[in-house]
This record gives sequence, C-alpha cells and structure tokens, in this order.
Amino acid sequence: MKKTNQLALQTECTWFFQQNPFAYETAKGLSVRLGRKTEHLLPILEELVSLSIIEKIGDGEGALFHYNEPVIIGGNGEDATWNSV
Amino acid sequence: MTELTSSGIPGLDKVLFGGFPKGSPIILEGAPGTGKTTLGLQFLYNGIIEQGEPGLYITFEELPEQLYRDMKAFGWDLRALERQNQLRILCLSPEVLLEEMMEPGGLFERVVEEIGCKRIVIDSLNMFQYSTETEGKHRQTIYLLRNTLRKFSLTSLFIREQTYLDPTIIPFGHYVVDGVIRLSLQKQYENYRKRTLEVLKMRGCKIMEGEHIYRLTDNGIHLIPARSMVEDFSINDQLTRISTGLPRLDQVLGGGVKGGSVFLLDTNSRANYRHLIASLMSNRILAGENALFLLSSLASIESFDHMLKRFDVRLEDWVKDNKAYFIEYFNRPVPSGFESNVINVSDLDNKQYYDKLRSELGPVIGESMKRGEKWCMFYDLNTVFSERGKDFVMKFFSEEAAKARSAGLTIFALCNFAELDYEAAAFLERTSNGVIRTWVDGNYQYIQITKSPEGRMSEPLLVENIENRPFIRLV
Repeated sequence: MKKTNQLALQTECTWFFQQNPFAYETAKGLSVRLGRKTEHLLPILEELVSLSIIEKIGDGEGALFHYNEPVIIGGNGEDATWNSV
Repeated sequence: MTELTSSGIPGLDKVLFGGFPKGSPIILEGAPGTGKTTLGLQFLYNGIIEQGEPGLYITFEELPEQLYRDMKAFGWDLRALERQNQLRILCLSPEVLLEEMMEPGGLFERVVEEIGCKRIVIDSLNMFQYSTETEGKHRQTIYLLRNTLRKFSLTSLFIREQTYLDPTIIPFGHYVVDGVIRLSLQKQYENYRKRTLEVLKMRGCKIMEGEHIYRLTDNGIHLIPARSMVEDFSINDQLTRISTGLPRLDQVLGGGVKGGSVFLLDTNSRANYRHLIASLMSNRILAGENALFLLSSLASIESFDHMLKRFDVRLEDWVKDNKAYFIEYFNRPVPSGFESNVINVSDLDNKQYYDKLRSELGPVIGESMKRGEKWCMFYDLNTVFSERGKDFVMKFFSEEAAKARSAGLTIFALCNFAELDYEAAAFLERTSNGVIRTWVDGNYQYIQITKSPEGRMSEPLLVENIENRPFIRLV
C-alpha cells in the first residue's frame, strides 16, 4: 500500500472511532464497517494504538480496538474535545 | 407485587397499567420501518431524563453516528448524555458482546458499572441467529443473554426484525422472555397506513389487550390507547352514579351509570341479556329510583317480576307506592295488584300512543320529580321499532332522550343493531351517551362497552355464569 493510501486509511479509521466513540471492533469487524481489507487495516490500527488515538484490548484475532477519547479540561460542547485539539 | 418502571413512551404505560416490570427482558418486534429503534432509544432517553435510570444501547448493524444524527430530529442529544455518563451507545459484533458478557470484569460489566446502567436495548436479536451455527446454539445464546441481563437487574428490550412470514409460528424467544411487544404497519382506508402496537405478553402484569395506534411525532413515539374517546361533558357531574352491579362495567364507567344518561343495550338474538338488564335496573331501584318499564313480547310484567325478585326487588311493593309503571303493547292479562300502574297502548296509532303517554305518564313523572325523586326506565326499542316504525322511533326517541337527560331520568334501551339499517343505528348511537353490546361468538357470550360518557371503552369481556347475584361475572 502506498504511503498516501496509508494516510487516507489512517484518517478513515480515526474518523470512524471519533464519530463512534463507543465502538468496540475487531480488525475483522472494522473491515466490514469500513469496507476495507483486514490485512490493510491491521498495521494502521497498530499505528493508531501507538499514537494513543485508539486503545487495544486483548491480543490476536479477537483483539478489540476502541477510541481513546482525549480528555480536555473545560470542554463542554459536543465537539469541544476534538476541536480543542 | 411487581415493581414497574415507566416505559418512557406516552400512552404505553396506560396499556401496561404502569410500565415495564423492572428488570424484565422484553422482545420488541416489528417489520422494517415500524419505529423499533426509535422506541428503543426513547425508552432509554426518557428513562434517563424522567426516571434517572442510565441506559445502554448495543447496536450490531447501525452505526452510533447515524443514531446520534437521527435522534436529533426528536430533540434528543444522545452525545450529551454520553458525556454525562448516563448513556452508552456501544457498537460491536454479537460475538464480541457474548464474549465480553461472559468475561469476568469484561467490557460489558465495566460499562454497566461505569454508568450505573438500569436499562438496555439490544439491536437486534436476529444478528445472533446469523452468527450462530445451529438452532440449538441460538437458543443457548438467547438464554445466556436473558440470564445475564436478569443478573444485572436490567430492564431490557431485545429488538427483533419480524422476518417470519407464517404468523402461526411462535419464535423461541417469545417463550423465554417476560414480555413481547409487536409493532405493525397496516393499511388504513384506501391510501393510508396506521402504525399499531400490541402487547402480546407481559408476565405478571395486567395489559390492555388489542392493537393501539401510535404516531411518530416531533417528540418521538406517542401511543393512543385503543378505546379512548373524548369524555362526554354533557351529563351533569353533580348527578350521582349508581353501580351497574357488575364490577368490570363499573370500572370502565367510573363507578357506575350517571343519572340522566341514555344507554343502548345492543344485543343479538342469541345473547342472554336478562341478567344484565336485571342488574342495571335493580341497582337503581334499590338505590331509591322509581322505575318505568316499556315491555316487549318477551319481557312481560311477570318475567320482570320474577327476574327482579332474584335481585331482592319486589315489584308489587313499588307498584303499591306508585313507584313503578309499565307500558304494555300487548293485550296480556295483568297480574293482580299491578292494574292501576299499567298503561295499555295496544291498538293505538302513533298519535294516540304519543298522547296517551303524555297524558297518563307525564303528570306522574312530573309530580314525582318535583318531589326530588329520580327515575330509571327500561325501554324495549325493538318493540317500538316493530310496532311504530323507524320514523316514529327516530323522532320520538331523540325527544325522549333529550328530555330524559334534562330531567335526570336514566334510560336503558334494548335494541338489536343488526336488525336496523345503518342510518338508524348511527342515529341511535349518536343520541345515546353509552352503548353496551352483548353477543354470542361460538360457545361464548361477550359484553363490551363501546361508548360511554367517560369516553372510555372496554375490551370485549367474557360472560361467565355464576351461582349468586348478579348471576354473571365479566372476565
């Protein structure tokens, strides 16, 4: 996969988790949600975990990924946390 | 006694006589487009806002972002409730949910604890069916779900897409849950559709049977319980109610029949209405009202005398005190002691009949009412129809009904709607304050209040014969 495609996929995953903050998905489950191949998603998800954008629970095929919502002191609007970032 | 919690759906609590049983698993099923998701989210949203019960929505197919957007149309800000830790819209697969439910300290337990969850919606049960290999495993899954949610005392709605085409097949899930609610979309008139909700089952709870129409409003689902009509304020509230003698009828009528109301008793030829009439009339007589009987070929003085004796009313005593009168259409022998109080109207034309009643009954009732006495009347409309004709009834009965109302006279008019044309039946129904129908269907007799001054209707009640007064029980 090209670097630009990787970035696009990274944005897609981040956007998905930010919009659905209580989604808990396996890589396989996410591939159905996003219509992307699991093998393309796995390295992206690991990258997002390393950046603390999402969290990983468990290991292997059953590992769950979910959004690590940033805590912003003073944020009170719907998008305050994200906009403030 | 079962503890109930409001369903959060206006009107539904009335159908459920208070709300959902707390901690119960309930299936909410319906075809696509019936509003299952909306009802589920309304149950959670209003549960938080009105009852302070945090909730969890688990979606397998629909993305939360779609739900956040869609529900804003009803003014529900789901994200705000999530930020306040009162709501979670979890999006995961059925396999992950089951796995996490069984895991000690797993995701499911953590979320339930985190928000102090009291209500849950799972959307949808069908997804478990697709993700399990055999029917046996599917059943096991449903048991697991039910038991886990019960363990946490969560009031739960399981959404189910109604996919089975054969209505005689009862899905397995219906047996294991405490309640089943079905939403339907049905054709109404030529170009309209109506949305209906029916509670098929609610273990340990009383329910209002039948289909109830609901509407999707700006504030979500609004249900109008069936048999709700506008209260008739034309009857003077100051006039006393007198029990019908039948507790189930009294319940619908707010304690009994108000003085000055006109009730039609619509009965077909196979239905036995004698006990009903005897109960209605005897209760008023025993409460001190005077009585007037317009007799029929089947209901003679003797038959009324016999019937009312069983209800502790001795007609001869009332006749002696000039508190009971009879209008006789047939040349039948009059029992001894009753002669002076029988007005024979046989062989009279309509005008003579009208004049005779005015001249003989008018002063009696008029004077008595001046003394503050009340009257009730049994009026066999079938006889008047056959003897005097439709035009006479339509003129005379409406006049009588209007006078009765203003004078506080209560009329129970017996009539067989099936033998009338549409115009006459509609006219009589309009003229009356209440309609009580009784009919025989198969091996059972039913009684139903289809119109009442209180604006309420009853469900069709089964008639059971019993040994003691009033000799029938309505179930």
